[in-house]
Amino acid sequence: MANTHNPGGHAHPEDGGHDHPAAPMVDEISDFEILELAVRELAIEKGLFTAEDHRAFSEWNDARSPAAGSRMVAKAWTDPAYKARVFADPLAASKEVGVDWSEPSGFGTTSDYMHLTVLEDTPALHHVIVCTLCSCYPRPLLGHSPYWYRAPNYRRRIVRWPREVLAEFGLILPPEVEVRVEDSNAKSRFMVLPVRPEGTDGWTEEQLAEIVTRDTMIGIALPKPGRTSDGPRPIHKASRPVHSGGRPREAAP
Amino acid sequence: MSGSNVGIQEQPEGHYVDLRRIELLESLRNEDQTWSKLAPRWCVTNPDPPWQVCLDATCDALSAGGALDSLERRHAEDELGETVYSEIPNPERQLLALAHIMVSRGLLTEEELARQIRTVRARLEAV
Repeated sequence: MANTHNPGGHAHPEDGGHDHPAAPMVDEISDFEILELAVRELAIEKGLFTAEDHRAFSEWNDARSPAAGSRMVAKAWTDPAYKARVFADPLAASKEVGVDWSEPSGFGTTSDYMHLTVLEDTPALHHVIVCTLCSCYPRPLLGHSPYWYRAPNYRRRIVRWPREVLAEFGLILPPEVEVRVEDSNAKSRFMVLPVRPEGTDGWTEEQLAEIVTRDTMIGIALPKPGRTSDGPRPIHKASRPVHSGGRPREAAP
Repeated sequence: MSGSNVGIQEQPEGHYVDLRRIELLESLRNEDQTWSKLAPRWCVTNPDPPWQVCLDATCDALSAGGALDSLERRHAEDELGETVYSEIPNPERQLLALAHIMVSRGLLTEEELARQIRTVRARLEAV
């Protein structure tokens, strides 16, 4: 099999190679990459922490997901007393769904300040969150932010043309619904509590949590029955399919 | 730590960190090496450099071990970000600030850091 890697790729002649193009990588050692390693290695050498500590924190960081946020919303939808606590003391309410914002350091994660506000949507008011400055995000509840949340395209445009940007995500809001864009900053985190959709009467918290996907808590989508993050992808049959016509007749045996 | 090139307008003492410039770190603040310049040069779309997650883990581990409290580091980082490293984007700013705070608090010396940078550079450039 021929290798068709791009110049940034790498060949594996021993396993016959693979024929998909490799994603481009930065093939240059930067001063900052070196500084990060130097600081870390010196800290380990001096006994400030161990290599195992460092690995454990990296793994803990990478393992977070939006599941806790989903549980928080589902519980708020079914328990009015809990919903009141979500607004009165969001950090305590986070603890009730298993998220302690003070972990792992006692003062929160590296860049998540312990200040959270939960924004309540109503049928007449829709919230969407952004960090115009960089990429501040309620990571303890929602895990890592999606790539587009950190990209200038979203950060610069959602505050100027929110309805248009939401429409680009497939969310078209009627003009009578007010849209509020909440801009995070270095010390404040926000999360959206969407409106519980119709057709979910009698559902359990677990069932409800499944439809509270990451995007509904950022505010670029609305929860609806049947729409889960691990559900089947929406595939629409082509209305005017192109037929190949099969093999040419003269080639048929 | 070098205080030889303190600007006239510069405030040498912050509440949380010594704001005097550190010669070694000044020599590293090359904007051309930041991820926002490096990534497009190599057609890479990842918004964060691969070392970002390692830097976060270093900050967490330093705080958990009691060497450098996260909240104090953040305050110091804010002070440095508004002054010494205001022109450097994140996460490079966060990294320079961490090194600056560690040197200014005596967790590392400038000489040790310079030596380790040489060691790491030689190791990475050898392969």
